[in-house]
Amino acid sequence: MDATRIAFIVLAAVAVVSAFRVVTAPKIMHAALWLGFTFMLVAGVFVTLGAEFLAAAQVLVYVGAVTTIILFGIMLSQAAEVRSRDPLQRERLEGAAFWRRGVLPVLATVAFVAIMVTVYMRVPWPAPPGGVIDTVRLIGSALFTTYVIPFELAAVLLLIALVGAIVLAVRDDNKEEQGS
Amino acid sequence: MTELLWGAWQGWGFGQSSFNVVMGLIKGLLVCVFLAVNALFLVYMERKVSGYIQGRLGPMRVGPKGLLQTAADALKLVTKEDIIPSGADVAVFILAPLVFFAAATAIWVVIPFGPQDIVQDLNIGLIYISAVTGLSVLAILMAGWSSNNKWSLLGAMRSAAQLVSYEIPLVLSLVAIGMMAGSLRLGDIVAAQQSGVTSWFVFPQILGFIVFFTAGLAEINRAPFDLPEAESELVAGYNTEYSGFRWAVFFLAEYANLVAFSALAATFFFGGPTGPFLPPFVWFLIKTYFFIFVAMWIRWTLPRIRVDHLMNLGWYVLIPLALINLGWTGLYVVLWG
Repeated sequence: MDATRIAFIVLAAVAVVSAFRVVTAPKIMHAALWLGFTFMLVAGVFVTLGAEFLAAAQVLVYVGAVTTIILFGIMLSQAAEVRSRDPLQRERLEGAAFWRRGVLPVLATVAFVAIMVTVYMRVPWPAPPGGVIDTVRLIGSALFTTYVIPFELAAVLLLIALVGAIVLAVRDDNKEEQGS
Repeated sequence: MTELLWGAWQGWGFGQSSFNVVMGLIKGLLVCVFLAVNALFLVYMERKVSGYIQGRLGPMRVGPKGLLQTAADALKLVTKEDIIPSGADVAVFILAPLVFFAAATAIWVVIPFGPQDIVQDLNIGLIYISAVTGLSVLAILMAGWSSNNKWSLLGAMRSAAQLVSYEIPLVLSLVAIGMMAGSLRLGDIVAAQQSGVTSWFVFPQILGFIVFFTAGLAEINRAPFDLPEAESELVAGYNTEYSGFRWAVFFLAEYANLVAFSALAATFFFGGPTGPFLPPFVWFLIKTYFFIFVAMWIRWTLPRIRVDHLMNLGWYVLIPLALINLGWTGLYVVLWG
């Protein structure tokens, strides 16, 4: 067994444990950090499979941007806003914690790992590519020839999402003055 | 050098993959030693430069011309009591400086010390750099939150806002460099600027250089963009609760970032480790230290800018400039590339 395959197995195993912790961590901040760690490990899995570009994009987008924004959001919201004030409802939620943080995640994880291991055992391990393949050039030319329409559509979709987010987030200063 | 070691490794009866692992460890260790030595010297240099700028002498007492001052300070830091605040989230508090340091050292994987001397000349070099620099935001947020202290939290929030805003112009200026060189590999970027001063990217990319340098200073939290740790407002920002060795790790990583930023400025715009007569590594050091000096010069000359001005500078000035530069670069590559 070569070093790459050992690295793959270790990264994948730790990623599963880490993803499990995302669901079961009692503090939401810890859950977000575990999520960032899981993204890093998935990037590592991409590297062992020879997809360096994808790995870097994964770290750039998911760890650098998504996790940071999640942490930012958590820090800006107060714990009291999230927690229910009604004692009866809170008691019920705490009673369900055993299921939410214990049994259900374990079942989901076991099922997921079972499926992935079966898939993994069926396909052959990708052989090391012959010669040096410039994956960046391949991805670049594919994006601007074969997949140019999906690529442009995705860009427009992101732009619409961006504009929408700004419209939702911008506070109307005039209205606020009238209200107060 | 590598071939020699590879021969010896085969002689002991080991294979290729284990050799790669061992070589990786050796190279990593060399980079860490390089960073530690540089950080020790840079602390001394910063105090001397600031001293002369302010008409003082700087450290003079310990050793000749105060040369051993940093060593004494480092010893003091290491022997200090390890304090973890009682309200802190211990695991995250301990991890934060390590993540910060890992992010600072990870950049060094792709920085060329010489035309061929790169730890690993990744074909995704530029994207790798922008990906890895984003990790330090995470570490700063971890440090600020886990300290359970309002100064730390405010410093971390400021830092996250600042780093996220300035990463956009920084990455846009890197894209222009990639267009100029026709490759994301740092080895190719150096090779494209090998034929003398006229081939340096700084001339067609002067706008890109201004954006890169400004956004880079903000990205490594150097004054005038050191709002995350503004002493006069936030005590010390995200590392308020850190002391002794843990604080030293933050400090070391910040200087490692300064060296990396200067080395990248030299690599992208000033030909990197190439030049006449002297060996490449010496040229690497000369160019890197020039930019380190400029960063220190700026720090001790300009006042810290206000937080709303900081955001305006990033969004209203640097991002449009970077976009104009991108358009210009496209035109340049089509016409003269």
